[in-house]
Amino acid sequence: MKEYDIVIVGAGIAGLTAAIYGVRAGKTVLVLEAQVEGGQIINTINIENWPGNMRVTGVELIRKIKAQAEELGAEIDYVNVEKIVKTKDGFEIFGDMDEKFKAKSVILAMGTDPRKLSDEMMKDAGKRPVSYCATCDGALYKGKKVVVVGHGNSAEHEIKYLKGICSEVYNIHHDEKIPEDAEAVFVAIGRIPATECAKEIVEIDARGYIVAGEDCHTSCTGVFVAGDCRTKDLRQLVTASSDGAVAAMEAVKYLA
Amino acid sequence: MELLDFYADWCGPCQMLKPTIEEFEKAHPEIKVTSVNIDEEEELAEKYGVSSIPCLVVLKDGEEVKREVGVMPLKKLEKFVGV
Ligand SMILES: Cc1cc2nc3c(=O)[nH]c(=O)nc-3n(C[C@H](O)[C@H](O)[C@H](O)COP(=O)(O)OP(=O)(O)OC[C@H]3O[C@@H](n4cnc5c(N)ncnc54)[C@H](O)[C@@H]3O)c2cc1C
Repeated sequence: MKEYDIVIVGAGIAGLTAAIYGVRAGKTVLVLEAQVEGGQIINTINIENWPGNMRVTGVELIRKIKAQAEELGAEIDYVNVEKIVKTKDGFEIFGDMDEKFKAKSVILAMGTDPRKLSDEMMKDAGKRPVSYCATCDGALYKGKKVVVVGHGNSAEHEIKYLKGICSEVYNIHHDEKIPEDAEAVFVAIGRIPATECAKEIVEIDARGYIVAGEDCHTSCTGVFVAGDCRTKDLRQLVTASSDGAVAAMEAVKYLA
Repeated sequence: MELLDFYADWCGPCQMLKPTIEEFEKAHPEIKVTSVNIDEEEELAEKYGVSSIPCLVVLKDGEEVKREVGVMPLKKLEKFVGV
């Protein structure tokens, strides 16, 4: 079995940037992605704070970055990583369809998933559809009444978007009753780190984030973390990308 | 067997899934793949009660046997369809 210098878990902006830095430093790099490259940002149609590309869509941006990483020599494979094990001289990475990979170092870049609606609220929603992406599903409710659950920045964003499509957009907290006449429920109650596959190998805080400072070093030597799944204050594209560069260069130092 | 792929042009995940659907079509010519633009074919989307996209529906003898919402890589798509 081929052993890679660096295996990266997650092909969001953090993982793909790490791949670019890793291959440019002459390392063999494999990126493992559970779904499709891009992560959270593929739902966004209007990015205004990625320097140099005003109003780029998430899909456009990710396609370019993926092509760039591959042109430089990074490999991408579609695997849902379930477990990472430290061995005598490196790491073994296991997928949920019996895949197995070997690496000298690992970069964790699994990002975050949307926080799901509570069971109680799911019951309240009943047969009504529950969506976690207004830009995906909003247009299915043209001229209809919908409700947005949540009050943060992303909820505000969803409300603004849906107001342009739906006849009425209600807004409630995650512990309030869903209005009777809402035909669909849009959920924006925060995100939770997708760190389950790493919990046996690195330190994770009470909220599920992988503990590391700006140097992206985890509690396990040879394992680095990049992007939204790391403990940090600002979770954005540029900071995820920045982490990717730092984590890759720290991995390169570790491999030297 | 037939695979229905409900999508829309403004849906990012649908765009990301497209190359996977095309690969699937190439690898499995025995399965009919129909991509349904929900903006152009509202009745069909309504008939199947599509409430979230991308939405993949597997038909056997014209009857729905399975459905899944969201993006997935080729291997998972093949497993889902059962080929
Ligand atoms: C609606 C919305 C709008 C936003 N708008 C902006 C904006 O305008 N500007 C901005 O700067 N930021 C924006 N952000 C934030 C930005 O999207 C994130 O900060 C950034 O995408 C994080 O990148 P990441 O690579 O760390 O994680 P993610 O994008 O979450 O990527 C992680 C990847 O890892 C994969 N993965 C997870 N677990 C596994 C596993 N076990 N095995 C294999 N793969 C796995 C996931 O499938 C995913 O592809 C927005 C976020 C949201 C939700």
